Amino acid sequence: MTGRAAPLLGRFRAGYVAPSVLLVAGLLYAPFVWTAYLSLTRYDGLIPPEWVGFENFVKLLDDPALLTAIRNTLMWVAGTMLLPVGLGLLVAVLSYDIRGGAWFRVPFMLPYALSGAGLGLVWSPILSHDGIANKLLGVDTAFLQEAPHNTIAMLLVWTWQQLGVNTLLFAVGLQSIPKEPIEAARLDGASGWRLFRHVIWPLMAPLTAVVVGLALVASLKSFDIVWVMTQGGPGRNSETLAVTMYRDTFVASEYGYGSAVAVMLTVVTGLASYLYLRGRK
Amino acid sequence: MIRRAFLVVLGLIWLGPTYLLLVNASRPPDSYDSSRAWIPSPDMALFTNFAQAWESANLQESLASTALYSVVSPALGVLIGAMAGYTIVVLRLRYGFWWFMLLFGGTIFPSQMLLVPLFVGFSDAGLYDSRVGMILVYTAISVPLSAFVLRNFFTGVAFSIFEAARMDGASTFRIFWRVYLPLATSALAAVFILNFTFIWNDLLFGLTLTQTAEVRPVMTALAGLVTDVYAGTPVPVGLAAGLVVSLPTVVLFVATQRMFARGLALGGLS
Amino acid sequence: MIRRTPILIAASVLLAACGSTPTGQPKTELTLYNDKGAWSKYFTEMGALSKQQIDLGMKPVGYTDEPTYQAFIKASFRTDVKPDLFTWQTGGLLKEIVGQKQVAETTAIWQEAIKNGDLSEDVATYYTVDGKQYCVPLNVAYWGMFYNKKIFDKHGLKPPTTWDELITVAETLKKADIKAFYHTSVLFSFVWFEQLLAGTDPDLYDRLSTGKAKYTDPGVVQVMEKWKSLIDAGYFSNPGDKTDPADALKNDKVAMVSFGTWFNTSMTQRNLDAGFFVIPNVNASLPKTSMIFESGPLCSLAKAPDPAASMKYLKWWTTTQAQEKWSSARGDVSANPKVTIKSEVLGQVTKDAGSGKYRLVNRYFEATPPPILTAALDGFGLFVTKPDSYRQVLEDIQKKADEYWSTHQ
Repeated sequence: MTGRAAPLLGRFRAGYVAPSVLLVAGLLYAPFVWTAYLSLTRYDGLIPPEWVGFENFVKLLDDPALLTAIRNTLMWVAGTMLLPVGLGLLVAVLSYDIRGGAWFRVPFMLPYALSGAGLGLVWSPILSHDGIANKLLGVDTAFLQEAPHNTIAMLLVWTWQQLGVNTLLFAVGLQSIPKEPIEAARLDGASGWRLFRHVIWPLMAPLTAVVVGLALVASLKSFDIVWVMTQGGPGRNSETLAVTMYRDTFVASEYGYGSAVAVMLTVVTGLASYLYLRGRK
Repeated sequence: MIRRAFLVVLGLIWLGPTYLLLVNASRPPDSYDSSRAWIPSPDMALFTNFAQAWESANLQESLASTALYSVVSPALGVLIGAMAGYTIVVLRLRYGFWWFMLLFGGTIFPSQMLLVPLFVGFSDAGLYDSRVGMILVYTAISVPLSAFVLRNFFTGVAFSIFEAARMDGASTFRIFWRVYLPLATSALAAVFILNFTFIWNDLLFGLTLTQTAEVRPVMTALAGLVTDVYAGTPVPVGLAAGLVVSLPTVVLFVATQRMFARGLALGGLS
Repeated sequence: MIRRTPILIAASVLLAACGSTPTGQPKTELTLYNDKGAWSKYFTEMGALSKQQIDLGMKPVGYTDEPTYQAFIKASFRTDVKPDLFTWQTGGLLKEIVGQKQVAETTAIWQEAIKNGDLSEDVATYYTVDGKQYCVPLNVAYWGMFYNKKIFDKHGLKPPTTWDELITVAETLKKADIKAFYHTSVLFSFVWFEQLLAGTDPDLYDRLSTGKAKYTDPGVVQVMEKWKSLIDAGYFSNPGDKTDPADALKNDKVAMVSFGTWFNTSMTQRNLDAGFFVIPNVNASLPKTSMIFESGPLCSLAKAPDPAASMKYLKWWTTTQAQEKWSSARGDVSANPKVTIKSEVLGQVTKDAGSGKYRLVNRYFEATPPPILTAALDGFGLFVTKPDSYRQVLEDIQKKADEYWSTHQ
């Protein structure tokens, strides 16, 4: 950067980020402060909150349901990296330089348009005990009843819904790659896997970080599909941390305890994304 | 060839549930049987099903506001998010990574927990049940994704482009508007699509922050029909409603496919 | 063009904001916040009718997710956004908001309505806190068994009048390879617990919901064992079947489904002519048949924007003209005994209930405080998939109950 430009830029730079920062801080951070405060109280949403210090967090350590929720949430994270992200990369790479490649991606985008409630209606006749999946596979599994089947089944629904998004973002990443290094590598005789591994993959790293970063956060907060399909049951065996948080706060009206789960979930999500993104400045 | 075959097979698997959706949304409401869900019905009832949903849920009043939110907010979000990404990466804002983490942090909060404090804040500020309020909230939600994608996209753009433009005497804003934004068309479009879909399908904020039919988004009218056991809505009617409401999103996907097919965007420029 | 767009947007946004309604004047149209988002159509029809009859319109603001709705209403007490009318729940939740002095008293409406026969004393019990009435019934529902007439006819079965007859019916169906009863592990997992307990020992049921009995008491354990024996006998459908219960009944997957009378809306929407009977007591020596009763209140705030208009509306809601429309639109029963019910069998049940033939038992969902209810729904959800777990399930619920009643007695 030239010395002449620097002072001029200095004046405007803060102004350019200000709208973003103000909106995010005012409408997303500020409300969470209230949740953080509630996590230190006993509160049912009606009678004014009563300060209890760290009691809710101490109770958290001793809650067996929380262990199940952590286990399931980890399954969601690992499964998300493997399926919607991994498969999304595969589809994007396979379709990016063939004729009409974008059209091959349309079937994967369609499910993303469907909202949560519709998702439940489409998948219940498939995953039901007397449903299509059992008939097709010739088995007799209660997909949504037993753990860990239910989490795996819901991960497949999630994959069905999310694959298109990841494919789309990977495709944008692939598009942003300059032609020259690829041509140069081709001239050197690189092709197929070697071309991908040594030339394309490093060049699409910035958008890969986006996909993985977003998937990490979304999977840690998995809620919608679980709530629509099992409500975390039966017997809380498919609960994720976000479902536990919602259940305790709003269903059981124990705002203090639910907020403590929310604070824990937020700290974990924030830390995980910081650790992941720090290495990829 | 193997590539195409793989994509076609996987695509067909993906279309399986979509097929179920179509077949059952077109079925007369009283002939739904989940154990024979894959067999198409001879009677085509998609439009009568949708008419029934439309009538029960009073959809027309909400459609206009939903369209407003899901176009304006992602557009604003993508612009100011891109501006933030540009400032952080290209203008090399000091402590840029931390500013970026601050924006990205907007995605880590579980949205269910934001609802009650947002409602209380909005009613104090007079924003409850107003379109301005809804646009503000949806824009705030769009910003982190936009900033993230565009920041990372811009790191892949050669810095020499910026330097060359500076040499020509262009202002930083002009460089952003005339050089960087056009470069990032596909990224901007992808972000717009994702935020559009999120807002179009949003239920949480729409339910909690609005009241009158003119301000409420369409999903709030629809969701009850689909999920509420007290409604007794037959499955085909629920599916038809869900299908038709997701049509705008599908149209957007298909219409924008060209943008992602245009090939190596940057290759042509440098 | 590009540069002008943001300005246009800003302008249109401002115009939109100015369109909000003024406050503080006498109202001609009320907002009715409700957790029955699916009933919007019926509410809107009622709004048109009230406009006509008492010159006071009404528009519904529907929520679809019960927990979010309750959180919203509670939060609104702290803000200037005040619903004119809102739906709520009987039981502990009503007591809670009455205790916070948020709800307008309706004793006068009740006294008059009881005098001219629009409401009954029986129902008043559910709306009474410390001798005074609050809210009016938005809807009432009696719980019983919907059955598939086709299946019953084919196997020569008749609606049972005793528990033994019910079991004989289930046994006959089992031999014909038909699942007798619908079962689910999501939300409505409590139905059979409540039914069996109320039909065995309704007093124990009442004591349990007020914390005076424990889930680990022998009477409750026996109910779970009874329930388990019915599951083991193979009378229930698999709770992993995710088919909508109305479709399951229609498509001969199950012969009987236990729900409130509102389930009839599902039946009429599917053109299914289903039968209905009151579930007989397990314990034949009880003086009256226990029948699960559900009622959702329609309330007005003590600090409503226009208290007179809200009261006027509540009063109108209980009248026969209003209730005729409200119950016939949904094919459901009414809290007003003078209303003629479309369905003959539901009309008979309403009449019998009004004349004191049954012992009405408050539905488990309303009778049980939310934290215990949440634990119990999860517990029963586990039990229906793993019946052997019943002792553990009861212990877990009791643990939550102990915790709750230690701070709420």
